[in-house]
Amino acid sequence: MLDVRNLNVWYGVTEVVRDVSFSVPTGSIVALMGGNGAGKTTILNTLSGLLKPRGGELALDGESIKDRHPHDIVVRGLVQVPQGRHVWPGMTVRDNLDLGAVTRKDKDGIRADIEEAFALFPILAERRDQRASSLSGGEQQMLAICRALMAKPRMLLMDEPSAGLSPRIVQEMVAAIRRLHERGLTILLVEQNVGVAGALADTAYVLANGEIAFSTDGAELATNPDVLRSYLGR
Amino acid sequence: MAVGLVFLATLPFHANPYLLFVGNLAMLYIVLTVGLNLLIGYTGMLAFQNAALFGVGAYGCAVLRVTLGLPYWLSLPAGGLIAMIVGVLVALPALRLTGLYLALATVAFAQFTLWVFLHWYSVTGGPAGIQMHPVDFGVLASTAEYGLYYLTMAIMLAVVALTWNLVRSRIGRAFVAIRESEVAAEALAIDLTRYKTIAYAISALYAGVAGGLFAAMLGIVVPESYDLFQVIAQFAMVVVGGIGSVWGAVIGAVGLIWVQEALRAFKEFQEIAFGGMILLTVLFLRGGAMSLIKRHIKGWDEPLRRIPRKR
Repeated sequence: MLDVRNLNVWYGVTEVVRDVSFSVPTGSIVALMGGNGAGKTTILNTLSGLLKPRGGELALDGESIKDRHPHDIVVRGLVQVPQGRHVWPGMTVRDNLDLGAVTRKDKDGIRADIEEAFALFPILAERRDQRASSLSGGEQQMLAICRALMAKPRMLLMDEPSAGLSPRIVQEMVAAIRRLHERGLTILLVEQNVGVAGALADTAYVLANGEIAFSTDGAELATNPDVLRSYLGR
Repeated sequence: MAVGLVFLATLPFHANPYLLFVGNLAMLYIVLTVGLNLLIGYTGMLAFQNAALFGVGAYGCAVLRVTLGLPYWLSLPAGGLIAMIVGVLVALPALRLTGLYLALATVAFAQFTLWVFLHWYSVTGGPAGIQMHPVDFGVLASTAEYGLYYLTMAIMLAVVALTWNLVRSRIGRAFVAIRESEVAAEALAIDLTRYKTIAYAISALYAGVAGGLFAAMLGIVVPESYDLFQVIAQFAMVVVGGIGSVWGAVIGAVGLIWVQEALRAFKEFQEIAFGGMILLTVLFLRGGAMSLIKRHIKGWDEPLRRIPRKR
């Protein structure tokens, strides 16, 4: 579904992503892993069109999205759940969801999808008229996911959905992501949590200093000696 | 609110000409402040070009009316449109800027505009400005003052109603989304360029129309009306009234016009008072006067959507 070939991204004079290639087959969950500063978020923001790559090719369903506007990329079905969640704090839960559907005009469909989001995370239904700033971290993560779903994505880019959450909420999040995957969503997951990535991903790519160090089967992630050594420092 | 409206509507019948002038000025500043608040308060852009666009609207209206002989009912909206076009042209480079750089660039634009007003003699008349003869409202009003007062009132009410509906539409929510997280807004397909341009254009149009009204009110357009003090005055109204609140803008405009008139005899104190009020608000009352109202009047909220009436 998504093909990344020889991607190069620079911030000014610094190369932050170097010759990265990977692909995400339709219906799979692929994890991008690596320590802070490895270039994971940069790759996601480049895929979303927020950053312009210096070189390489990005293709969604065989069509280049390299020079596309962020708006176009969302319309094509590739939607990001940003790091740190970035919900709009002053807006209510419902307004956050409504604005996630900014590319759509079908009012009834939007209303139905908001109800569907509430079915996915019932706690959000109780909080629908509360400001997003009053939600807990886990609830904000749920809201950020639902807000992305409002754009009717075919593929989600999730940036560290487990960051800053308690272990119990992380388990809930893993279950929720699995449900989304069962509904047919393809997912590119950026994670630092080996447990989460291992539980979900079909394939994992481990980044170091902007390059792909190696890739591994998701199921073997937790036992792969390379992961333990290079990534966790054991 | 109804009491306020009745008071405003009947002011010409029980007030002296000076009070009428002040009432008119306050309503005109409501138009300016509501527009600036769309930019600063709702969209979160620290932009200061509106004082200059206020001047562009005033000069536009005066030049069209005096030099080209157009009637006021045509030169007023035309002045507004000119200001809007200039506002969008300013927005083009400003779209790339945020925070301090945007503030600096727009203050520089305001200074540049002032320089043009002062030095483009053939059009602006230089420091002497442009004299305007009173607007004739014909059968609609017995004097120019009355006519202008009700015209300003109609425009003010239209602007407040329009803006109140705008901020509760999806466009308004998109403004707030840009303010609260530009990254999320952009990643979720909210077109930053489009919505920022809309905010710049609307607030420029309001400023331009207010400029045309101001020109007619004073009967003269001179550069010093649109100097740095104008920038500070409008900014103070937004901050003191309440950033990101339509009603806060209304309160800020009326309140600060009152302060300005109370200090009419001591012009230097006006600037000190406005600066001081900005400082005190920023230090002790971030949400401005509006936050006091929200705290003490139960159930007062300015939701970003129309709430259907409960049956």
